[in-house]
Amino acid sequence: MLTRRTLLIAGAAGTASLLASGFPAAAQSIPTVEEVLFDEAIPTIGNPDGDVTIAEYFDYQCPFCKRGHPDLLDVVASDGNIRLVMKDWPIFGEPSVYAASLVLAAGDDYEAAHTALMKTEGRLSRDDVDATLAGAGHDPERLAARAAEQATRIQGILDRNTNQASAFGFRGTPVYLVNTQLNYGAMDKAALLAAVERARAA
Amino acid sequence: MKLFSASAFALLALVLLPSAGPAGAAPAAPLPVSEAFELDVARDADGALVFSWDIAPGYYLYRDHISAQRDETPLPLSTPPGTPKDDPVFGPTQVYTGAATARLETPVFGTLELTFQGCQDDGICYAPETRHVDAQTLEVSAPAGPGGPGALGTGPEIAWTVGGETAVAPVEAVPGTAPGAGSGPADAGFELAASGGLVEGLLERGGVLLVLASFPLFGLLLAFTPCVFPMYPILAGALAREGDKLTARRGFVLSSIYVLSLSTAFGLLGAAAGWSGQNLQLVLQSPITSGILAALFAVLALSMFGLFELQLPGSWTNWVAARTGGLGGSGGSKRSTALLGFSSALIVGPCVTVPLAGALLYIAQTADVGLGAAALFGLGLGKGLPLIVMGTLGGQALPRAGAWMEGVKQIFGFGFLATAIWTVAPLLPSGVDLALWAALLIAVASFAVSVPLTNTTALASMRAVGGLALVYGVILLIGASAGGTDPLKPLAPLAQRGGSAGSGEGRELRFAATGSISDLQARLASANGERSTMVYFTADWCVTCRVIERSVFPDPQVRQSLGDFQLVKADLTDFNAENSALMKAMRVAGPPTMIFFDGAGREAADTRLVGSVTVDALTRSAHTTERL
Repeated sequence: MLTRRTLLIAGAAGTASLLASGFPAAAQSIPTVEEVLFDEAIPTIGNPDGDVTIAEYFDYQCPFCKRGHPDLLDVVASDGNIRLVMKDWPIFGEPSVYAASLVLAAGDDYEAAHTALMKTEGRLSRDDVDATLAGAGHDPERLAARAAEQATRIQGILDRNTNQASAFGFRGTPVYLVNTQLNYGAMDKAALLAAVERARAA
Repeated sequence: MKLFSASAFALLALVLLPSAGPAGAAPAAPLPVSEAFELDVARDADGALVFSWDIAPGYYLYRDHISAQRDETPLPLSTPPGTPKDDPVFGPTQVYTGAATARLETPVFGTLELTFQGCQDDGICYAPETRHVDAQTLEVSAPAGPGGPGALGTGPEIAWTVGGETAVAPVEAVPGTAPGAGSGPADAGFELAASGGLVEGLLERGGVLLVLASFPLFGLLLAFTPCVFPMYPILAGALAREGDKLTARRGFVLSSIYVLSLSTAFGLLGAAAGWSGQNLQLVLQSPITSGILAALFAVLALSMFGLFELQLPGSWTNWVAARTGGLGGSGGSKRSTALLGFSSALIVGPCVTVPLAGALLYIAQTADVGLGAAALFGLGLGKGLPLIVMGTLGGQALPRAGAWMEGVKQIFGFGFLATAIWTVAPLLPSGVDLALWAALLIAVASFAVSVPLTNTTALASMRAVGGLALVYGVILLIGASAGGTDPLKPLAPLAQRGGSAGSGEGRELRFAATGSISDLQARLASANGERSTMVYFTADWCVTCRVIERSVFPDPQVRQSLGDFQLVKADLTDFNAENSALMKAMRVAGPPTMIFFDGAGREAADTRLVGSVTVDALTRSAHTTERL
């Protein structure tokens, strides 16, 4: 009779949703802000001292992650006070792990290698990854060798990201964290700007 | 009356909130995998296993990400060509929309693993999903996660919140049982049903004006609920003290002052509660506050009996009189009426109702104190409108002067005493209130028979009232000494001793206690996808909760419909950080609130009950949940 629903009727149907869905479960304890936003093993993009950190759980084969990436970089660059952490969560199998490993092994070239791969559109094979990186002036073989050297570090990053995603109960990519605010699914520029504003207001 | 106001409430809501289409063009929040890609397994005429997916509109499944294996050995699946998903750089990827099938012709024994993966268009790409399929029974199950409830971590208290198009509730990140990394559906933890806030809904429909217009109406509909009842004798008593000075105009002024200060207190308390993040509303209901209130009413009662004149100190009254142009004691009574109204908010406030919950949650979530407080002020005004009507019209009905007046004052004195007992009853050992009621009734009886009346009809009716009060008072005394606790069924212990316990049909509802997010998580997880769970937020001081526990839970129909539920009770009597976090995570504004979860820990849509509850409403929510 007096359920919330009777009061809300359909009017609110479109507004409420995010909470209802992105909200499953996980075994691990909830990741801390430190673990999620400030994993020191992961290189950062943008302003390293930014007052807002955006962390994106993504996969190099996830089309929406890639489609939204230029907007994301745009927001980070034009704002000037945002720290961006790209958190590899390879959900599309082996080529994604391969791509993530090579980029994480790129050292000073991290951002360039990452951006090159984010410019691809859909699915990737190992060969596609190699070709893309080579096309952007990186040496895939050298990167693969360095990735093998740094296997512990890289595997650590991927494991931590995956465990965090699972602990949060994320269903897939992309998930954007703007400081402590979770946003499931693709975000356009307006949504990103609004989220940053909310983070600063909080 | 209650029933009437509840349905009128729903009706009003219907008028105020005609259905609007989903807002915006952004893709909706991603569905759970099992709903986005509904899997069905069958065996066709050739004996091959056929997996088929019913794909929700706006979602697609990748052809090359459907695979099956048994004991780590891949099994050959045949899939029809899909739609090319254009990819100018690396060539087309094939996807399925609407529906997809995969055939497994190789005979398989035992359980095989089926993996699939898809995306929501322009939204999210799901992590791969795995299902166990029994090749003989065709039964489909989700792989068990490694962690049971035992593996629960309590986790640091971090307020990860969910951002989005609208302001949504702050959500404590939720620990639960773990599906393996990147697999498994969300079969543990909890998931609240989608619902925008009441205030947000109104805002969206009609802006600030609609919010401000609606809350007084909500209040008006709540004006005839038990939460507001104590206001009537209080105001009537305050007016009666005026004696022959009381005119319709004065009645109007005083009752308006009373209602305005009640509404102001209501708005301020709500704003402070929501804004500070503390649940002030609960803190206020501490035994100390209740005790002080009860004492205040007792003092008021005594002054009604003429033991002393309750007036502000003469110097104050004079000061006020000087400023107001010598209106005599009227300033004083205005002030004491205002004070009365202010403190009455403490009684009205804690009655959690749908609009109150909506406004409090809105303030807590958006920090928009102004609008939230204005809404609560409006709610208070609405609740008070009938009081003003009563004060204005009723003032004329009161006798002018003489012995009559004294009698009327004393009647209100008894009303105040009743309010005092009612306020303090939850604090007393159960059964003591019975004795207090008995004493009050016997006092009423002796008053009623001793009133000097010349009119024989009046005399007869007073004596009849006195006789009734005496009889019920004695019955209450007997009940109290026999261990009875319910003022409405004082002789229940005796009746049961007589063996005529006819109402003992269904099992008594047994609630397990919970007080933290992690504990509730564990309990939901232990339901194992089978039992539904009802979580009931209550507190000793919550009067509506007492009514529910006394007259709704024992109902055979309720007992039966909740019989298979896991019943969990969150007692908010002692308010602490843990149960406060639990309330926040569950988006609960206060007791009484009932939340229904299906076996998978998902709140059933359209079932949450806030405020006073009927047997029908509770039964309906239970059945809706069970059917899921």
